[in-house]
Amino acid sequence: MNMFWYELKAYRKSTIIWTLSLVALIAFFLSMFPSISKDAEEFKKLIEGYPASVRKAIGLNVENVFSILGFYSYSFLYITLCGAIQAMNLGVSIFSKEIREKTADFLFAKPVTRTNIMTAKLLAALTSLAITNVVYLAAANIIASQVKTEEYSNKTFFMISITLFFIQIIFLSLGMIMSVMIRKIRSVLTVSLGTVFALFIVGMLSSTADDNVLRYFSPFKYFDTAYIIKHSSYELRFLILGMGIIIVSIAASYFIYTKKDIHAF
Amino acid sequence: MNVIEINHLTKTYGKARGITDISFTVEQGEIFGFIGPNGAGKSTTIRTLLSLIYPTSGNAKIFGKDCIKYAPEIKKDIGYLPSEVFYYDNMKVIDLLKYSASFYKKDCSKRMKELAEIMDLDLNKKIDDLSLGNKKKVGIVQALLHEPKLIILDEPTSGLDPLMQQKFFELLEEENRKGATILYSSHILSEVQRLCDRVAIIKEGKIIKIEKISALHENNYKKFKMETTSKVEKSFFQINGVTNLKVEDNTVSFLFKGNLNDILKKISQIEITNIWVDEPDLEEIFMHYYEKEA
Repeated sequence: MNMFWYELKAYRKSTIIWTLSLVALIAFFLSMFPSISKDAEEFKKLIEGYPASVRKAIGLNVENVFSILGFYSYSFLYITLCGAIQAMNLGVSIFSKEIREKTADFLFAKPVTRTNIMTAKLLAALTSLAITNVVYLAAANIIASQVKTEEYSNKTFFMISITLFFIQIIFLSLGMIMSVMIRKIRSVLTVSLGTVFALFIVGMLSSTADDNVLRYFSPFKYFDTAYIIKHSSYELRFLILGMGIIIVSIAASYFIYTKKDIHAF
Repeated sequence: MNVIEINHLTKTYGKARGITDISFTVEQGEIFGFIGPNGAGKSTTIRTLLSLIYPTSGNAKIFGKDCIKYAPEIKKDIGYLPSEVFYYDNMKVIDLLKYSASFYKKDCSKRMKELAEIMDLDLNKKIDDLSLGNKKKVGIVQALLHEPKLIILDEPTSGLDPLMQQKFFELLEEENRKGATILYSSHILSEVQRLCDRVAIIKEGKIIKIEKISALHENNYKKFKMETTSKVEKSFFQINGVTNLKVEDNTVSFLFKGNLNDILKKISQIEITNIWVDEPDLEEIFMHYYEKEA
Protein backbone atom coordinates (compact mmCIF):
# COMPACT_ATOMS: atom_id res chain seq x y z
CA MET A 1 0.00 0.00 0.00
CA ASN A 2 2.86 2.40 0.68
CA MET A 3 3.80 2.38 -3.01
CA PHE A 4 0.18 2.97 -4.05
CA TRP A 5 -0.13 6.03 -1.83
CA TYR A 6 3.24 7.30 -2.88
CA GLU A 7 2.38 7.00 -6.55
CA LEU A 8 -1.04 8.54 -6.09
CA LYS A 9 0.54 11.47 -4.32
CA ALA A 10 2.99 11.83 -7.17
CA TYR A 11 0.05 12.03 -9.59
CA ARG A 12 -1.81 14.56 -7.47
CA LYS A 13 -0.78 17.65 -9.38
CA SER A 14 -1.38 16.16 -12.82
CA THR A 15 -4.74 14.72 -11.74
CA ILE A 16 -5.93 18.11 -10.53
CA ILE A 17 -4.71 19.94 -13.64
CA TRP A 18 -6.24 17.45 -16.07
CA THR A 19 -9.52 17.29 -14.19
CA LEU A 20 -9.85 21.07 -14.12
CA SER A 21 -8.93 21.28 -17.80
CA LEU A 22 -11.58 18.78 -18.80
CA VAL A 23 -14.19 20.56 -16.70
CA ALA A 24 -13.19 23.92 -18.18
CA LEU A 25 -13.32 22.50 -21.69
CA ILE A 26 -16.80 21.04 -21.32
CA ALA A 27 -17.99 24.22 -19.62
CA PHE A 28 -16.65 26.21 -22.56
CA PHE A 29 -18.42 24.00 -25.10
CA LEU A 30 -21.72 23.72 -23.28
CA SER A 31 -21.87 27.44 -22.53
CA MET A 32 -22.18 27.99 -26.27
CA PHE A 33 -25.16 25.68 -26.49
CA PRO A 34 -27.95 28.13 -25.54
CA SER A 35 -27.00 30.63 -28.24
CA ILE A 36 -26.43 27.93 -30.84
CA SER A 37 -29.76 26.26 -30.19
CA LYS A 38 -31.52 29.63 -30.25
CA ASP A 39 -30.25 30.39 -33.71
CA ALA A 40 -30.42 26.79 -34.84
CA GLU A 41 -31.62 27.56 -38.36
CA GLU A 42 -28.84 30.05 -39.04
CA PHE A 43 -26.21 27.66 -37.74
CA LYS A 44 -27.66 24.82 -39.73
CA LYS A 45 -27.14 26.81 -42.92
CA LEU A 46 -23.64 27.72 -41.83
CA ILE A 47 -22.74 24.13 -41.03
CA GLU A 48 -24.23 22.84 -44.26
CA GLY A 49 -21.86 25.20 -46.03
CA TYR A 50 -18.99 22.96 -44.95
CA PRO A 51 -18.22 19.92 -47.07
CA ALA A 52 -19.83 16.78 -45.69
CA SER A 53 -16.46 15.11 -45.16
CA VAL A 54 -15.20 17.95 -42.96
CA ARG A 55 -18.39 17.84 -40.91
CA LYS A 56 -17.93 14.16 -40.35
CA ALA A 57 -14.26 14.51 -39.51
CA ILE A 58 -14.84 17.05 -36.74
CA GLY A 59 -17.88 15.15 -35.49
CA LEU A 60 -20.60 17.61 -36.47
CA ASN A 61 -23.90 15.93 -37.14
CA VAL A 62 -26.44 18.35 -38.63
CA GLU A 63 -29.34 16.16 -37.58
CA ASN A 64 -28.80 16.19 -33.86
CA VAL A 65 -26.22 18.85 -33.01
CA PHE A 66 -29.03 21.18 -31.88
CA SER A 67 -30.24 18.83 -29.19
CA ILE A 68 -28.33 18.94 -25.92
CA LEU A 69 -27.23 15.30 -26.21
CA GLY A 70 -26.17 15.81 -29.81
CA PHE A 71 -24.23 18.91 -28.98
CA TYR A 72 -22.71 17.19 -25.98
CA SER A 73 -21.63 14.29 -28.20
CA TYR A 74 -19.92 16.72 -30.54
CA SER A 75 -18.04 18.36 -27.65
CA PHE A 76 -17.30 15.00 -26.11
CA LEU A 77 -15.05 14.01 -28.98
CA TYR A 78 -12.57 16.66 -27.82
CA ILE A 79 -13.00 15.67 -24.19
CA THR A 80 -11.96 12.14 -25.08
CA LEU A 81 -8.98 13.51 -27.00
CA CYS A 82 -7.73 15.32 -23.88
CA GLY A 83 -8.64 12.41 -21.65
CA ALA A 84 -6.68 10.07 -23.88
CA ILE A 85 -3.58 12.24 -23.55
CA GLN A 86 -3.92 12.26 -19.78
CA ALA A 87 -4.26 8.47 -19.66
CA MET A 88 -1.49 7.82 -22.13
CA ASN A 89 0.87 10.07 -20.16
CA LEU A 90 0.13 8.09 -17.04
CA GLY A 91 0.63 4.79 -18.81
CA VAL A 92 3.86 5.72 -20.51
CA SER A 93 5.39 7.12 -17.35
CA ILE A 94 4.51 4.12 -15.19
CA PHE A 95 7.74 2.40 -16.01
CA SER A 96 9.80 4.92 -17.97
CA LYS A 97 9.76 7.42 -15.12
CA GLU A 98 11.76 5.07 -12.91
CA ILE A 99 14.36 4.55 -15.60
CA ARG A 100 14.61 8.18 -16.61
CA GLU A 101 14.96 9.49 -13.10
CA LYS A 102 17.21 6.59 -12.15
CA THR A 103 14.99 5.72 -9.24
CA ALA A 104 14.53 2.13 -10.41
CA ASP A 105 17.56 1.03 -8.42
CA PHE A 106 15.95 2.40 -5.31
CA LEU A 107 12.61 0.71 -5.76
CA PHE A 108 13.83 -2.61 -7.10
CA ALA A 109 16.25 -3.13 -4.23
CA LYS A 110 13.34 -3.04 -1.80
CA PRO A 111 11.76 -6.25 -0.50
CA VAL A 112 8.88 -6.26 -2.98
CA THR A 113 8.23 -8.21 -6.16
CA ARG A 114 8.02 -6.54 -9.51
CA THR A 115 4.39 -7.58 -9.68
CA ASN A 116 3.78 -5.68 -6.43
CA ILE A 117 5.40 -2.58 -7.93
CA MET A 118 3.47 -2.81 -11.18
CA THR A 119 0.15 -3.39 -9.43
CA ALA A 120 0.64 -0.45 -7.09
CA LYS A 121 1.49 1.81 -9.99
CA LEU A 122 -1.37 0.59 -12.13
CA LEU A 123 -3.92 0.98 -9.34
CA ALA A 124 -2.66 4.48 -8.58
CA ALA A 125 -3.01 5.46 -12.25
CA LEU A 126 -6.51 3.98 -12.40
CA THR A 127 -7.46 5.82 -9.22
CA SER A 128 -6.21 9.07 -10.70
CA LEU A 129 -8.34 8.49 -13.81
CA ALA A 130 -11.35 7.50 -11.73
CA ILE A 131 -11.10 10.74 -9.75
CA THR A 132 -10.93 12.72 -12.98
CA ASN A 133 -13.99 10.91 -14.31
CA VAL A 134 -16.11 11.33 -11.20
CA VAL A 135 -15.40 15.05 -11.02
CA TYR A 136 -15.86 15.49 -14.75
CA LEU A 137 -19.14 13.59 -14.77
CA ALA A 138 -20.56 15.60 -11.90
CA ALA A 139 -19.47 18.89 -13.43
CA ALA A 140 -20.73 18.02 -16.93
CA ASN A 141 -24.05 16.91 -15.52
CA ILE A 142 -24.54 20.13 -13.59
CA ILE A 143 -23.54 22.32 -16.52
CA ALA A 144 -25.71 20.38 -19.00
CA SER A 145 -28.75 20.67 -16.76
CA GLN A 146 -28.16 24.44 -16.58
CA VAL A 147 -27.91 25.03 -20.32
CA LYS A 148 -30.49 22.52 -21.56
CA THR A 149 -33.39 23.76 -23.65
CA GLU A 150 -35.40 20.57 -23.41
CA GLU A 151 -35.44 17.46 -21.23
CA TYR A 152 -32.89 14.80 -22.02
CA SER A 153 -32.21 11.25 -20.89
CA ASN A 154 -29.88 11.21 -17.89
CA LYS A 155 -29.11 7.60 -18.61
CA THR A 156 -27.90 8.35 -22.14
CA PHE A 157 -25.90 11.29 -20.87
CA PHE A 158 -24.24 9.02 -18.33
CA MET A 159 -23.65 6.30 -20.90
CA ILE A 160 -21.88 8.71 -23.22
CA SER A 161 -19.83 10.31 -20.46
CA ILE A 162 -18.61 7.06 -18.94
CA THR A 163 -17.03 6.03 -22.25
CA LEU A 164 -14.37 8.60 -21.35
CA PHE A 165 -13.19 6.28 -18.57
CA PHE A 166 -13.24 3.31 -20.88
CA ILE A 167 -11.25 5.10 -23.60
CA GLN A 168 -8.82 6.33 -20.98
CA ILE A 169 -8.18 2.81 -19.70
CA ILE A 170 -7.50 1.67 -23.26
CA PHE A 171 -4.91 4.43 -23.66
CA LEU A 172 -3.47 3.77 -20.21
CA SER A 173 -2.87 0.15 -21.12
CA LEU A 174 -1.41 1.10 -24.51
CA GLY A 175 0.92 3.54 -22.76
CA MET A 176 1.94 0.86 -20.30
CA ILE A 177 2.90 -1.67 -22.91
CA MET A 178 4.92 0.96 -24.78
CA SER A 179 6.60 1.97 -21.58
CA VAL A 180 7.89 -1.54 -20.87
CA MET A 181 8.83 -2.28 -24.46
CA ILE A 182 10.78 0.82 -25.38
CA ARG A 183 14.20 0.74 -23.75
CA LYS A 184 14.39 4.35 -22.80
CA ILE A 185 11.73 7.00 -23.28
CA ARG A 186 13.28 10.42 -23.07
CA SER A 187 10.09 12.41 -23.33
CA VAL A 188 6.77 10.99 -22.23
CA LEU A 189 4.84 13.76 -23.96
CA THR A 190 6.35 13.08 -27.37
CA VAL A 191 5.38 9.43 -27.24
CA SER A 192 1.91 9.95 -25.83
CA LEU A 193 0.94 12.96 -27.94
CA GLY A 194 2.23 11.20 -31.04
CA THR A 195 0.24 8.05 -30.42
CA VAL A 196 -2.94 9.81 -29.33
CA PHE A 197 -3.01 12.21 -32.26
CA ALA A 198 -2.18 9.48 -34.74
CA LEU A 199 -5.10 7.40 -33.48
CA PHE A 200 -7.32 10.46 -33.37
CA ILE A 201 -6.56 11.20 -37.01
CA VAL A 202 -7.24 7.57 -37.91
CA GLY A 203 -10.60 8.06 -36.21
CA MET A 204 -11.31 11.21 -38.21
CA LEU A 205 -10.42 9.42 -41.44
CA SER A 206 -12.67 6.51 -40.59
CA SER A 207 -15.61 8.90 -40.01
CA THR A 208 -14.94 10.82 -43.19
CA ALA A 209 -14.72 7.72 -45.33
CA ASP A 210 -17.36 5.82 -43.39
CA ASP A 211 -14.70 3.17 -43.28
CA ASN A 212 -15.76 0.40 -40.97
CA VAL A 213 -12.41 -1.36 -41.05
CA LEU A 214 -10.47 1.76 -40.10
CA ARG A 215 -12.80 2.22 -37.18
CA TYR A 216 -11.29 -0.80 -35.44
CA PHE A 217 -7.93 0.95 -35.32
CA SER A 218 -9.04 4.03 -33.42
CA PRO A 219 -10.27 3.62 -29.85
CA PHE A 220 -11.88 7.05 -30.23
CA LYS A 221 -14.43 5.45 -32.52
CA TYR A 222 -15.26 2.41 -30.41
CA PHE A 223 -18.18 4.22 -28.84
CA ASP A 224 -20.37 5.84 -31.45
CA THR A 225 -22.36 8.47 -29.57
CA ALA A 226 -25.07 8.54 -32.25
CA TYR A 227 -25.53 4.79 -31.72
CA ILE A 228 -25.68 5.25 -27.94
CA ILE A 229 -28.29 8.01 -28.25
CA LYS A 230 -30.37 5.90 -30.61
CA HIS A 231 -30.16 2.52 -28.91
CA SER A 232 -29.23 3.37 -25.33
CA SER A 233 -26.59 0.67 -25.53
CA TYR A 234 -23.02 0.12 -26.69
CA GLU A 235 -21.93 -1.83 -29.72
CA LEU A 236 -20.95 -5.16 -28.24
CA ARG A 237 -18.27 -5.85 -30.82
CA PHE A 238 -16.33 -2.73 -29.91
CA LEU A 239 -16.89 -3.19 -26.22
CA ILE A 240 -15.28 -6.61 -26.46
CA LEU A 241 -12.48 -5.29 -28.66
CA GLY A 242 -11.73 -2.53 -26.15
CA MET A 243 -11.67 -4.96 -23.26
CA GLY A 244 -9.46 -7.29 -25.28
CA ILE A 245 -6.91 -4.52 -25.91
CA ILE A 246 -6.87 -3.63 -22.23
CA ILE A 247 -6.46 -7.19 -21.00
CA VAL A 248 -3.81 -8.16 -23.54
CA SER A 249 -1.77 -4.97 -23.06
CA ILE A 250 -1.81 -5.15 -19.30
CA ALA A 251 -1.07 -8.87 -19.17
CA ALA A 252 1.79 -8.45 -21.66
CA SER A 253 3.14 -5.49 -19.68
CA TYR A 254 3.26 -7.57 -16.51
CA PHE A 255 4.90 -10.42 -18.34
CA ILE A 256 7.61 -8.28 -19.94
CA TYR A 257 8.12 -6.23 -16.81
CA THR A 258 8.88 -9.19 -14.60
CA LYS A 259 11.39 -10.58 -17.11
CA LYS A 260 13.10 -7.38 -18.04
CA ASP A 261 16.64 -6.34 -17.13
CA ILE A 262 16.80 -3.02 -15.33
CA HIS A 263 19.85 -1.38 -16.81
CA ALA A 264 21.94 1.34 -15.32
CA PHE A 265 22.51 4.20 -17.65
CA MET B 1 28.54 -19.33 6.67
CA ASN B 2 28.52 -17.78 3.24
CA VAL B 3 26.40 -14.68 2.94
CA ILE B 4 26.99 -14.37 -0.79
CA GLU B 5 27.77 -17.32 -2.98
CA ILE B 6 28.24 -16.68 -6.68
CA ASN B 7 28.54 -19.70 -8.97
CA HIS B 8 29.72 -19.36 -12.55
CA LEU B 9 27.66 -16.26 -13.09
CA THR B 10 27.56 -15.07 -16.68
CA LYS B 11 25.67 -12.16 -18.12
CA THR B 12 26.03 -11.12 -21.71
CA TYR B 13 24.35 -8.18 -23.27
CA GLY B 14 25.32 -5.81 -25.99
CA LYS B 15 28.72 -6.45 -27.45
CA ALA B 16 31.51 -5.63 -25.07
CA ARG B 17 29.89 -5.42 -21.69
CA GLY B 18 28.89 -8.20 -19.34
CA ILE B 19 30.51 -10.71 -17.03
CA THR B 20 31.88 -14.16 -17.71
CA ASP B 21 31.90 -17.11 -15.33
CA ILE B 22 32.22 -15.20 -12.09
CA SER B 23 32.49 -17.20 -8.91
CA PHE B 24 33.30 -16.07 -5.40
CA THR B 25 31.92 -16.21 -1.91
CA VAL B 26 31.60 -13.63 0.80
CA GLU B 27 31.59 -14.96 4.34
CA GLN B 28 29.52 -13.76 7.23
CA GLY B 29 31.02 -10.74 8.94
CA GLU B 30 33.46 -9.98 6.17
CA ILE B 31 34.14 -6.71 4.43
CA PHE B 32 34.73 -7.90 0.91
CA GLY B 33 36.27 -5.60 -1.64
CA PHE B 34 35.28 -5.81 -5.27
CA ILE B 35 37.71 -3.93 -7.31
CA GLY B 36 38.44 -3.20 -10.92
CA PRO B 37 38.51 -0.38 -13.42
CA ASN B 38 35.31 1.29 -14.60
CA GLY B 39 33.30 -0.93 -16.89
CA ALA B 40 34.91 -4.15 -15.69
CA GLY B 41 31.59 -5.66 -14.61
CA LYS B 42 31.32 -4.70 -10.94
CA SER B 43 27.92 -3.09 -11.30
CA THR B 44 26.67 -5.88 -13.54
CA THR B 45 27.55 -8.44 -10.85
CA ILE B 46 25.90 -6.38 -8.13
CA ARG B 47 22.78 -5.74 -10.19
CA THR B 48 22.45 -9.45 -10.77
CA LEU B 49 22.71 -10.12 -7.04
CA LEU B 50 19.83 -7.71 -6.54
CA SER B 51 17.86 -9.28 -9.41
CA LEU B 52 17.75 -5.98 -11.24
CA ILE B 53 19.10 -7.94 -14.18
CA TYR B 54 18.85 -11.65 -14.79
CA PRO B 55 21.88 -13.87 -15.38
CA THR B 56 22.44 -15.52 -18.74
CA SER B 57 23.79 -18.56 -16.92
CA GLY B 58 25.03 -19.51 -13.48
CA ASN B 59 23.44 -18.44 -10.25
CA ALA B 60 24.00 -16.61 -7.02
CA LYS B 61 22.83 -17.24 -3.50
CA ILE B 62 22.38 -14.74 -0.73
CA PHE B 63 21.85 -16.01 2.82
CA GLY B 64 21.82 -19.45 1.18
CA LYS B 65 18.83 -18.63 -1.02
CA ASP B 66 18.70 -18.13 -4.75
CA CYS B 67 18.90 -14.41 -5.40
CA ILE B 68 16.32 -14.40 -8.17
CA LYS B 69 13.77 -16.81 -6.78
CA TYR B 70 13.73 -15.45 -3.25
CA ALA B 71 14.49 -11.85 -4.18
CA PRO B 72 11.81 -10.06 -2.13
CA GLU B 73 12.56 -12.16 0.92
CA ILE B 74 16.31 -11.69 0.96
CA LYS B 75 16.06 -8.00 0.15
CA LYS B 76 14.55 -7.42 3.58
CA ASP B 77 18.05 -7.80 4.95
CA ILE B 78 19.97 -6.03 2.22
CA GLY B 79 20.93 -2.40 2.14
CA TYR B 80 21.99 -1.18 -1.28
CA LEU B 81 23.65 2.02 -2.34
CA PRO B 82 23.60 2.41 -6.13
CA SER B 83 26.52 4.07 -7.85
CA GLU B 84 24.35 6.81 -9.23
CA VAL B 85 21.83 8.28 -6.87
CA PHE B 86 18.99 10.36 -8.22
CA TYR B 87 16.14 9.96 -5.83
CA TYR B 88 12.73 11.36 -6.64
CA ASP B 89 13.71 14.99 -6.99
CA ASN B 90 10.43 16.41 -5.93
CA MET B 91 10.68 15.17 -2.36
CA LYS B 92 12.16 16.29 0.89
CA VAL B 93 14.95 14.15 2.29
CA ILE B 94 12.84 13.12 5.26
CA ASP B 95 9.94 12.05 3.03
CA LEU B 96 12.17 9.93 0.87
CA LEU B 97 13.75 8.26 3.90
CA LYS B 98 10.34 7.61 5.41
CA TYR B 99 9.19 6.13 2.11
CA SER B 100 12.27 3.94 2.06
CA ALA B 101 11.66 2.86 5.66
CA SER B 102 8.03 2.01 4.90
CA PHE B 103 9.21 -0.99 2.88
CA TYR B 104 10.62 -2.67 5.96
CA LYS B 105 8.34 -3.94 8.62
CA LYS B 106 10.07 -2.30 11.53
CA ASP B 107 10.48 1.10 13.07
CA CYS B 108 13.48 2.73 11.49
CA SER B 109 12.96 6.32 12.61
CA LYS B 110 15.50 6.23 15.42
CA ARG B 111 18.27 4.76 13.33
CA MET B 112 17.39 7.17 10.53
CA LYS B 113 17.89 10.19 12.79
CA GLU B 114 21.15 8.78 14.14
CA LEU B 115 22.52 8.19 10.67
CA ALA B 116 21.49 11.62 9.46
CA GLU B 117 23.26 13.07 12.48
CA ILE B 118 26.45 11.13 11.80
CA MET B 119 26.44 11.99 8.12
CA ASP B 120 25.53 15.59 8.83
CA LEU B 121 22.50 15.51 6.56
CA ASP B 122 19.75 18.13 6.64
CA LEU B 123 16.49 16.18 6.58
CA ASN B 124 14.28 19.09 5.65
CA LYS B 125 15.93 20.03 2.37
CA LYS B 126 14.48 19.13 -0.98
CA ILE B 127 16.47 16.43 -2.73
CA ASP B 128 16.47 18.61 -5.81
CA ASP B 129 18.52 21.25 -4.03
CA LEU B 130 21.20 18.87 -2.78
CA SER B 131 24.73 18.65 -4.11
CA LEU B 132 26.02 15.36 -5.44
CA GLY B 133 27.78 14.63 -2.16
CA ASN B 134 24.65 15.29 -0.16
CA LYS B 135 22.58 13.13 -2.48
CA LYS B 136 25.11 10.40 -1.84
CA LYS B 137 24.56 10.86 1.89
CA VAL B 138 20.83 10.41 1.38
CA GLY B 139 21.70 7.17 -0.41
CA ILE B 140 23.90 6.03 2.44
CA VAL B 141 21.27 6.71 5.11
CA GLN B 142 18.66 5.06 2.90
CA ALA B 143 20.82 1.96 2.57
CA LEU B 144 21.55 1.62 6.27
CA LEU B 145 18.41 2.75 8.06
CA HIS B 146 16.83 -0.69 8.35
CA GLU B 147 20.01 -2.17 9.85
CA PRO B 148 20.56 -4.69 7.07
CA LYS B 149 22.60 -7.86 7.53
CA LEU B 150 24.21 -7.40 4.13
CA ILE B 151 25.31 -4.03 2.85
CA ILE B 152 26.06 -3.71 -0.85
CA LEU B 153 27.85 -0.55 -1.88
CA ASP B 154 28.56 0.39 -5.47
CA GLU B 155 31.21 3.11 -5.71
CA PRO B 156 30.00 4.66 -2.48
CA THR B 157 32.51 7.45 -1.98
CA SER B 158 32.19 9.41 -5.22
CA GLY B 159 31.16 12.93 -4.34
CA LEU B 160 31.96 12.64 -0.63
CA ASP B 161 34.65 14.93 0.74
CA PRO B 162 37.55 13.26 2.60
CA LEU B 163 36.17 14.12 6.02
CA MET B 164 32.82 12.56 5.16
CA GLN B 165 34.53 9.54 3.66
CA GLN B 166 36.30 9.06 6.96
CA LYS B 167 33.00 9.22 8.86
CA PHE B 168 31.43 6.88 6.36
CA PHE B 169 34.23 4.32 6.76
CA GLU B 170 33.87 4.49 10.54
CA LEU B 171 30.16 3.95 10.15
CA LEU B 172 30.75 0.91 7.98
CA GLU B 173 33.27 -0.50 10.44
CA GLU B 174 30.77 -0.06 13.21
CA GLU B 175 28.04 -1.82 11.21
CA ASN B 176 30.53 -4.57 10.51
CA ARG B 177 31.32 -4.93 14.22
CA LYS B 178 27.60 -5.28 14.87
CA GLY B 179 27.58 -8.21 12.47
CA ALA B 180 26.84 -6.81 9.05
CA THR B 181 28.57 -8.28 6.03
CA ILE B 182 29.69 -5.75 3.46
CA LEU B 183 30.30 -6.02 -0.26
CA TYR B 184 32.26 -2.96 -1.26
CA SER B 185 32.75 -2.20 -4.91
CA SER B 186 35.23 0.44 -5.91
CA HIS B 187 37.91 1.40 -8.37
CA ILE B 188 39.84 3.26 -5.69
CA LEU B 189 42.39 0.93 -4.18
CA SER B 190 43.27 2.86 -1.08
CA GLU B 191 39.65 2.62 0.10
CA VAL B 192 39.58 -1.11 -0.31
CA GLN B 193 42.97 -1.41 1.30
CA ARG B 194 41.74 0.59 4.26
CA LEU B 195 38.48 -1.30 4.82
CA CYS B 196 38.43 -4.78 3.41
CA ASP B 197 39.49 -8.19 4.59
CA ARG B 198 39.49 -9.85 1.21
CA VAL B 199 39.29 -8.57 -2.28
CA ALA B 200 38.22 -9.87 -5.67
CA ILE B 201 39.86 -8.24 -8.64
CA ILE B 202 37.73 -8.06 -11.76
CA LYS B 203 38.89 -7.16 -15.21
CA GLU B 204 36.94 -7.19 -18.46
CA GLY B 205 34.15 -9.21 -16.89
CA LYS B 206 36.38 -11.88 -15.36
CA ILE B 207 37.69 -12.40 -11.86
CA ILE B 208 41.44 -12.48 -12.13
CA LYS B 209 42.32 -12.86 -8.46
CA ILE B 210 40.73 -13.33 -5.07
CA GLU B 211 43.08 -12.64 -2.25
CA LYS B 212 43.34 -11.52 1.33
CA ILE B 213 44.43 -7.93 1.59
CA SER B 214 47.12 -9.02 4.01
CA ALA B 215 48.31 -11.69 1.60
CA LEU B 216 48.58 -9.13 -1.15
CA HIS B 217 50.94 -7.18 1.03
CA GLU B 218 52.80 -10.24 2.22
CA ASN B 219 53.27 -11.43 -1.28
CA ASN B 220 56.85 -10.47 -0.74
CA TYR B 221 56.85 -7.71 -3.26
CA LYS B 222 59.50 -5.11 -2.64
CA LYS B 223 59.74 -1.83 -4.36
CA PHE B 224 63.31 -0.93 -5.26
CA LYS B 225 64.49 2.45 -6.31
CA MET B 226 68.12 3.46 -6.66
CA GLU B 227 70.32 6.13 -8.05
CA THR B 228 73.39 5.03 -9.88
CA THR B 229 76.61 6.77 -10.80
CA SER B 230 76.21 5.97 -14.48
CA LYS B 231 73.30 4.92 -16.63
CA VAL B 232 72.50 1.24 -16.35
CA GLU B 233 71.35 -0.86 -19.27
CA LYS B 234 67.74 -1.91 -18.87
CA SER B 235 68.62 -5.49 -19.74
CA PHE B 236 70.86 -5.68 -16.68
CA PHE B 237 67.86 -5.97 -14.35
CA GLN B 238 65.72 -8.10 -16.58
CA ILE B 239 65.86 -11.19 -14.43
CA ASN B 240 63.17 -13.43 -12.99
CA GLY B 241 60.94 -11.67 -10.45
CA VAL B 242 61.50 -8.14 -11.66
CA THR B 243 58.51 -6.22 -12.93
CA ASN B 244 57.54 -2.62 -13.63
CA LEU B 245 61.16 -1.92 -14.51
CA LYS B 246 61.87 1.71 -15.24
CA VAL B 247 65.23 3.23 -16.10
CA GLU B 248 65.46 6.98 -16.34
CA ASP B 249 68.82 8.66 -16.54
CA ASN B 250 70.54 7.53 -13.38
CA THR B 251 67.44 6.28 -11.62
CA VAL B 252 66.28 2.69 -11.67
CA SER B 253 63.03 1.44 -10.14
CA PHE B 254 61.21 -1.89 -10.19
CA LEU B 255 59.11 -4.30 -8.17
CA PHE B 256 60.73 -7.51 -7.09
CA LYS B 257 59.28 -10.77 -5.89
CA GLY B 258 61.56 -13.70 -5.10
CA ASN B 259 64.77 -14.43 -3.26
CA LEU B 260 66.10 -11.11 -2.04
CA ASN B 261 69.68 -12.35 -2.09
CA ASP B 262 69.57 -12.76 -5.83
CA ILE B 263 68.56 -9.18 -6.41
CA LEU B 264 71.01 -7.85 -3.84
CA LYS B 265 73.86 -9.68 -5.54
CA LYS B 266 72.78 -8.10 -8.78
CA ILE B 267 72.69 -4.65 -7.24
CA SER B 268 76.12 -5.12 -5.71
CA GLN B 269 77.58 -5.38 -9.20
CA ILE B 270 76.80 -1.76 -9.99
CA GLU B 271 77.80 1.51 -8.37
CA ILE B 272 74.88 3.12 -6.57
CA THR B 273 74.67 6.43 -4.74
CA ASN B 274 71.34 5.90 -3.01
CA ILE B 275 68.75 3.16 -2.52
CA TRP B 276 65.16 2.90 -1.26
CA VAL B 277 63.44 -0.38 -0.53
CA ASP B 278 59.71 -0.09 0.21
CA GLU B 279 56.55 -2.12 0.55
CA PRO B 280 54.60 -1.46 -2.62
CA ASP B 281 51.06 -0.18 -2.15
CA LEU B 282 48.15 -2.13 -3.57
CA GLU B 283 47.86 0.10 -6.55
CA GLU B 284 51.26 -0.92 -7.78
CA ILE B 285 50.51 -4.58 -7.19
CA PHE B 286 47.28 -4.29 -9.10
CA MET B 287 48.86 -2.48 -11.98
CA HIS B 288 51.19 -5.39 -12.06
CA TYR B 289 48.25 -7.84 -12.27
CA TYR B 290 46.66 -5.90 -15.02
CA GLU B 291 49.79 -5.59 -17.03
CA LYS B 292 50.55 -9.27 -16.74
CA GLU B 293 47.08 -10.10 -17.95
CA ALA B 294 47.11 -7.67 -20.82
